[in-house]
Amino acid sequence: MAQIPNLDNAPINLTSLRVHYQKELITILKNIRGKKCLVIDPKLSGSLSLIVQTSLLKEHGVELRHLAADPLQTECPKVVYLVRNQLELMMPIISHVQNDTSKGLQREYFIYFVPRRSVVCEKILDEEKVHNLLTIGEFPLYMVPLDEDVLSFELDLVCKECLVDGDRSSLWHIAKAIHKLEFSFGVIPNVRAKGKDSVRVADILNCMQAEEPVTCDMGMPEIQTLILLDREVDMVTPMLTQLTYEGLLDEFLHINNGAVELDASIMGVQQEGKKIKVPLNSSDKLFKEIRDLNFEVVVQVLRQKATSMKQDYTDITTTTQTVSELKDFVKKLNSLPEITRHINLAQYLSTSTSKPSFLGRLDMEHTIVESEGYDICFEYIEEMIHKQEPLVGVLRLLILFSLTNLGLPKKHFDYLRRELLHSYGFEHMSTLNNLEKAGLFKKQESRSSWLTLKRALHLVVEDTDTANPTDIAYVFSGYAPLSVRLIEQAIRSGWRPIEETMKLLPGPHSETKKGGFLRGPDSLSGGSSNIDKVTDGRRSLVLVIFLGGVTFAEISALRFLSAQEGMAYDIIVGTTKIVSGHTLLDTFVEKMS
Amino acid sequence: LLWKESWEFSKNPMASKGTPVHGPRIKAIEKARDLFAETKEHNFESKAADEHAKLLRMQQELEVSTKQAIFVDSSISDTIRTCIVLGNHRAAIKVKTEFKVSEKRWYWLKVFALATTRDWDALDKF
Repeated sequence: MAQIPNLDNAPINLTSLRVHYQKELITILKNIRGKKCLVIDPKLSGSLSLIVQTSLLKEHGVELRHLAADPLQTECPKVVYLVRNQLELMMPIISHVQNDTSKGLQREYFIYFVPRRSVVCEKILDEEKVHNLLTIGEFPLYMVPLDEDVLSFELDLVCKECLVDGDRSSLWHIAKAIHKLEFSFGVIPNVRAKGKDSVRVADILNCMQAEEPVTCDMGMPEIQTLILLDREVDMVTPMLTQLTYEGLLDEFLHINNGAVELDASIMGVQQEGKKIKVPLNSSDKLFKEIRDLNFEVVVQVLRQKATSMKQDYTDITTTTQTVSELKDFVKKLNSLPEITRHINLAQYLSTSTSKPSFLGRLDMEHTIVESEGYDICFEYIEEMIHKQEPLVGVLRLLILFSLTNLGLPKKHFDYLRRELLHSYGFEHMSTLNNLEKAGLFKKQESRSSWLTLKRALHLVVEDTDTANPTDIAYVFSGYAPLSVRLIEQAIRSGWRPIEETMKLLPGPHSETKKGGFLRGPDSLSGGSSNIDKVTDGRRSLVLVIFLGGVTFAEISALRFLSAQEGMAYDIIVGTTKIVSGHTLLDTFVEKMS
Repeated sequence: LLWKESWEFSKNPMASKGTPVHGPRIKAIEKARDLFAETKEHNFESKAADEHAKLLRMQQELEVSTKQAIFVDSSISDTIRTCIVLGNHRAAIKVKTEFKVSEKRWYWLKVFALATTRDWDALDKF
């Protein structure tokens, strides 16, 4: 199965988006005649693999390499670099060029920046006197369709950059990406934003629309509503362990660009140390069916599939069958590899999730969210630190604890910080500093509003039936993600009715409507004031963008929401990156060089 | 004051990463400690920097006395563990008292360390 997902069922034409990027890349390569060596920034290779197959690149005379510090080994007279506009990526390029010139090698060099060139990068090339040897261009790849309803901007540091470094350059990138979407799908009339960065993106988007209006008369815009949400508004959700199938896969095996890489032994292949890559996207029918389910249920579904298969098999062997029945059976057999694959994965997850340590942790997460038993939670975390359990796992729980209490009393705050430094080393002073700056782990200054929030947004749902869920809370077995609750509210009735609750969350919020050119004949006669509703029976489309990352569990909850009866909305999720608590916190942790 | 604060923060990561030469590195950390001490709200940071410097000194001494370059840049807990694993209980207790390690943490460390050396007798007695 291909890693490139099939996008035909997407609510908007994402295939055209992908084809557009593909063409653009091929044009770049075509314009450089002859054999060339394409050197790719390792962080881009994932996104590229979702856009273009390597075989297609090879057809255009391309030799592929990953960008690394050691000298480039290639026979090609032309070298094309495809890199993000990051300063540290310039160093290997410079050393390649200098290495070649010192050996007297004559080559042509091209650098294509993704998505655009930056002054800083060019300055450094200039200072190292290699600028004049290079041809510089841009490959404006602003987003990658990860699946039929998920777009990613592939910016993995946004959360930390915005919360700690105060670097907001990525906001422009996001606004630009939305603006580009509007050129294909029409101006989005309703924009709702919560959080200071989201509001800023909405502002930048407005400016872009004024400077460079979308000039096309496509009639109705394809996307009716845009909801922008800062990750900062809800940091609680990513700190919790995701309990959907896809979410758990990400927690334990790290899904990257729609695929997991894992030991062959998990998949039942006996080969020491061999890694295999398993694609995970909705082109896999079975995966599409079970990815959003709570993991408890997944095991049952798989068992059911396997037994019904067995039943069919006995039927075939015992009774005489018509040709068409045989045909049906063979068709079913075709899905066998998929079932085996997911049974293997589920088995691996089961062994991890049935461990007492995992269950204990879930219990503790639940206690913290309920904000019961402060002392028990405190002692649990203290013990984790004393046992020197993996730092990021400890921090996840600690942050959850700090967030729901709006910080810890100074005595406890200082005590835990000291124990952390003693157990994990003093270099983590800057980790703690990062977390404090981001407001994730801090000193308590006022009373916590968590209980009010929990009640107002109905975050904890008792008696969640994971098999027949009636509420999004099933994704965390009883906790409804705050972020998704806000989106639910925004779609159903707007944020006005919960104004008071919104004020308890960080950052301002804004709602704008761009009417005027949108009025079709039906809304003129009906005079309907609600532009949100599309009257011709078509489902209207909501684009939800998370600034700072989104978890798979939240995406599952959104899919669940749009599948509800009475919801005339399809939802597309845009994110700066798909994250889990681990990948998100990893950006905050100080790395020892 | 704002300027001073930001300077302190920029100073701090530099100090904790530091240079491979230990003498200047400890000095840098002590400098950071003094800077942190100048404002009241950085009391915690100042103390931590102080302990860090002390730890590095101690680790250097340990490396000289055991002739093994495995101590520098490990955390306090790791240092204690290494001492016990090497059978150097006196040094372990010295580190413990020097940094006022709580009994709770001390027990965890000792249990883990004895388990790694498979010193079941000592674990039993303990």
